[in-house]
Amino acid sequence: MHGMNTIRTLAVVVILAALLPPCVPAQSTVYSSVLATHLFVVGAANPQTGVFFQHPGDDTVWSHTGSKTIRAFNVALGPGSHGRVIYIAGGNGVHLSRDGGRTWKITTGWQITEVMCVAPDPADTNTVYCTTPYGVFKTTDGCSTWREMNTGLTALYIPSLIVEKGGLLCCVSEDGLFRSTDGGGRWDRMALSVSGTRILAQSPADPSFLIAGTENYGLYVSHDGGTIWTRSESGVDHLTFYAVAFDPVNPDIVYAGGYVTGVYKSLDGAKTWKRTNEGLANLNVHAIAVDPLDHNRVYAATLWGGVFSSVDGGAHWKSAGLSGSQVWSIVIHTL
Amino acid sequence: MKRIVFPFVVSACVAALPIFHAGGSGPAGTAGSTATREEYLGGYEQRAAYISSYYDTSMAGGYYSAAARYAHGKDLRTADSMFAAALKEPRGDMFWMFPCIGAYLNGKDRMSPETKAVVRNAWKTYAPYRGDTENHWAMYYSTLFLAAEQWPDLPGSEWYNGKSSDENRTDAKEYLIHWMEIATTIGQGEFDSPDYFAEYAISMSLLADFASDPGMKQRGTMMLDYLLADFADEQLDGQYLGGFSRIYQPAVFKPLLSPASAYAWLYFGTGEPSQSGWVLLPALGKYRLPQIIGDIATDRSHAYVERERKRVRNVIRFGNEKNPPVYKYTYVTKDYGLGSLQGGLLQPIQQHTWGLRYTYGRPYTTIFGLHPYWSSEELGMFFPEEIKPLIADVVASKSTYNNPDKWTGGSPFERTFQNRNTIIVLYDIRPGTSTEHIDGFFPRNLEERIIDPSGWILCKAGDTYCGWYPLEGGEWTEEHDTPGQVKNAIGRPEDIARSGETGNWRFRSTNLQNGEVVEVRSRAEIGSFGKFCAGLRARRPRAVLKPGAVSVDYTTLAGDRMRFAFPDTRVLNGKTIDLTTTPLFDGPFLHAAVGSRKLSITYGKRKLDLDFTKLTITE
Repeated sequence: MHGMNTIRTLAVVVILAALLPPCVPAQSTVYSSVLATHLFVVGAANPQTGVFFQHPGDDTVWSHTGSKTIRAFNVALGPGSHGRVIYIAGGNGVHLSRDGGRTWKITTGWQITEVMCVAPDPADTNTVYCTTPYGVFKTTDGCSTWREMNTGLTALYIPSLIVEKGGLLCCVSEDGLFRSTDGGGRWDRMALSVSGTRILAQSPADPSFLIAGTENYGLYVSHDGGTIWTRSESGVDHLTFYAVAFDPVNPDIVYAGGYVTGVYKSLDGAKTWKRTNEGLANLNVHAIAVDPLDHNRVYAATLWGGVFSSVDGGAHWKSAGLSGSQVWSIVIHTL
Repeated sequence: MKRIVFPFVVSACVAALPIFHAGGSGPAGTAGSTATREEYLGGYEQRAAYISSYYDTSMAGGYYSAAARYAHGKDLRTADSMFAAALKEPRGDMFWMFPCIGAYLNGKDRMSPETKAVVRNAWKTYAPYRGDTENHWAMYYSTLFLAAEQWPDLPGSEWYNGKSSDENRTDAKEYLIHWMEIATTIGQGEFDSPDYFAEYAISMSLLADFASDPGMKQRGTMMLDYLLADFADEQLDGQYLGGFSRIYQPAVFKPLLSPASAYAWLYFGTGEPSQSGWVLLPALGKYRLPQIIGDIATDRSHAYVERERKRVRNVIRFGNEKNPPVYKYTYVTKDYGLGSLQGGLLQPIQQHTWGLRYTYGRPYTTIFGLHPYWSSEELGMFFPEEIKPLIADVVASKSTYNNPDKWTGGSPFERTFQNRNTIIVLYDIRPGTSTEHIDGFFPRNLEERIIDPSGWILCKAGDTYCGWYPLEGGEWTEEHDTPGQVKNAIGRPEDIARSGETGNWRFRSTNLQNGEVVEVRSRAEIGSFGKFCAGLRARRPRAVLKPGAVSVDYTTLAGDRMRFAFPDTRVLNGKTIDLTTTPLFDGPFLHAAVGSRKLSITYGKRKLDLDFTKLTITE
């Protein structure tokens, strides 16, 4: 009997290992947060939503992890956790898995809802930030408790937040950009105060190089850490940008996308842009990610078009699955 | 017995739970205020039995058929099999949670251990979404609270959300108390919704019946009293009156189709007999309406004005205030009710800003108007998703939202000023907005609809008379119900009877600076329809209709001088009206100050006080 139990246990482990994101991947793992698949009506028999993952070689095959019917705005991996710690920013709170997606817990209470972004602090595994339409929240005890961190913010609709290199925080709001030097204790307005900022990205090669996407005013660039901002207009025919992604290898290559924009690519550090949409069947781009292991492999998450991928730096695109889905974010995790 | 079958609104979760409206074949109501407590309770028990008797014999299956059998101790093995079958594929989020826990709580002492285990397992393995509206949360947290009480001391691994029983119970309790505090201090956000009243009533009914925590049981009872009192004094013949936060088509022009009307029949004995699934769980329950609320609901011997203050749904963009106030004004008589909100964007998508409803001519017992408006900005005010694609997102599930012919929704270019049975509605519409027209709804079954040379549209609906003075000209079109109008956002279909019938009438005016003056009287108030018409023919509103300067001066049939300048200058008999002083409740029956957490209910010499600061009900 004991032997039989051991066999059963091993079988369960093998099956789970096949179903779950690998903890020690041989290659990148791509995570997508899906807000809706075809249609999402609370209370209806919705198709599966939430977080999906795939490996680049899997083509269009995605596996699901976590709750099956949540509106997942964003997903993040715990720094240094080797894929074991996964956070989901969901409509019903911050979901956390500490075992690579096998089990999950909603870590937030009723006070925190419609979480749009979750950002773990790379310097402290117990510290995580999340943003909502009601402001910024922070935990310093590994998601056991959360507290509101809105002092200094003049608008509480905060779609995203980044923990900058060096530990500063920057959040984007309906009333421009804000930065905190004390872990969210107080927010101060940055020089870019156009209404409806939507996204902020920091160059991995040069922390002082920032690009912001806005709802109605296009793209803005700063080369001094956010003191002086310049509108980046050359080659840009659109105004609404939800996504900005730096090439992790070549600091001059940047991608951007937004409402009916398709994908814009810059080869000169955001001085000039050119659209590169061949094969991109949906032009509402909400997130872009570049594979750190192969910087020619680029992913574009679209609203209602699923995920598209390119293996030639965005020159050509093809569907990478989740067709018909409203994919809000895409994250590539590598060891 | 004639039954018209309406599949349940949220087909996903309770497809097997039909709504029924049976025309005139149920037990008689107890309209009138002279019923003794015994008479009232006798009538109530008959109505409750009429509802539950369908479900305890129905072989349709599902949670309600199981719940009714458990409650009545009938055919328990069938109930077990129905319950277990329904739980094979749980779905519907909080619309699953309440029928599931309702069936469980009605049957836990009678169901088999195997069925109990299936129920327990469902709360471990099926993860309902919390949703994003006030009614979603009321259902979600009330039922989660009850579930956590039923299965205490379980670790997070035994719950769908990874939280322990204690964490779930504490979280749910905190939210429910928070919601009650908000509702009793600055008002409900999803207020007075004929379609969503049921979601709150069921949630509170379950708490009142089944909460083990005495404080939560008391809160459930008090909040159900509160909700039903709020409904009772704005209820006429089973219809909710006034402006509403949310209403669907077709209930906006067929008022008795709303689930709230099933509650009016069960608790007040008004309207039409109903076997709606929306009211089954309360009908199985032990809660009984305080007599004073029933009397308020049915005594229409004197006309009265009811003023109330509610709140806007959480504003997350394009506003500096999270929950701006909503001011509601309703004039109630035995024949009709005229009600309004002040106008503007107060709720997304399904706002009903003003309307007249009356007792004559079911099912089309209403006249109202609106500016059909939609915008990504409106949606962005309330929903966190990206603004520009939001209209397409919403239309995917609420197909009427961007229909220029729709009959629901608020507009930032619409404002109202009501004084008793007269209302002035003004529009100053920005060129290029979603629609550049305003519409008025006039039902097909009016006895009179006279397009009078005086400029007045003179209508007669039984003993209710309505005069509508359009400030600009317009065009009449006859229209039949369309599938788009009779099928609501989540798929409730309705039969479309049209052979040989005339259609309803739409009055459309395309001037951007526009409006109407509407006077309503009953035979009891003014005498003959001819006298009413003669009175109106003798008066004309004086209007200024220029962009940025829209105003009306009008002297009512009662001699009141009303001056209204868009958007918010309201002057009555020389005195400026200050809406900001509006209490939570202010009328002959309900009294509550903003911030009070109390409601005082009076009827004659009787009084009932709900005090949420002390959790007491005092008669």
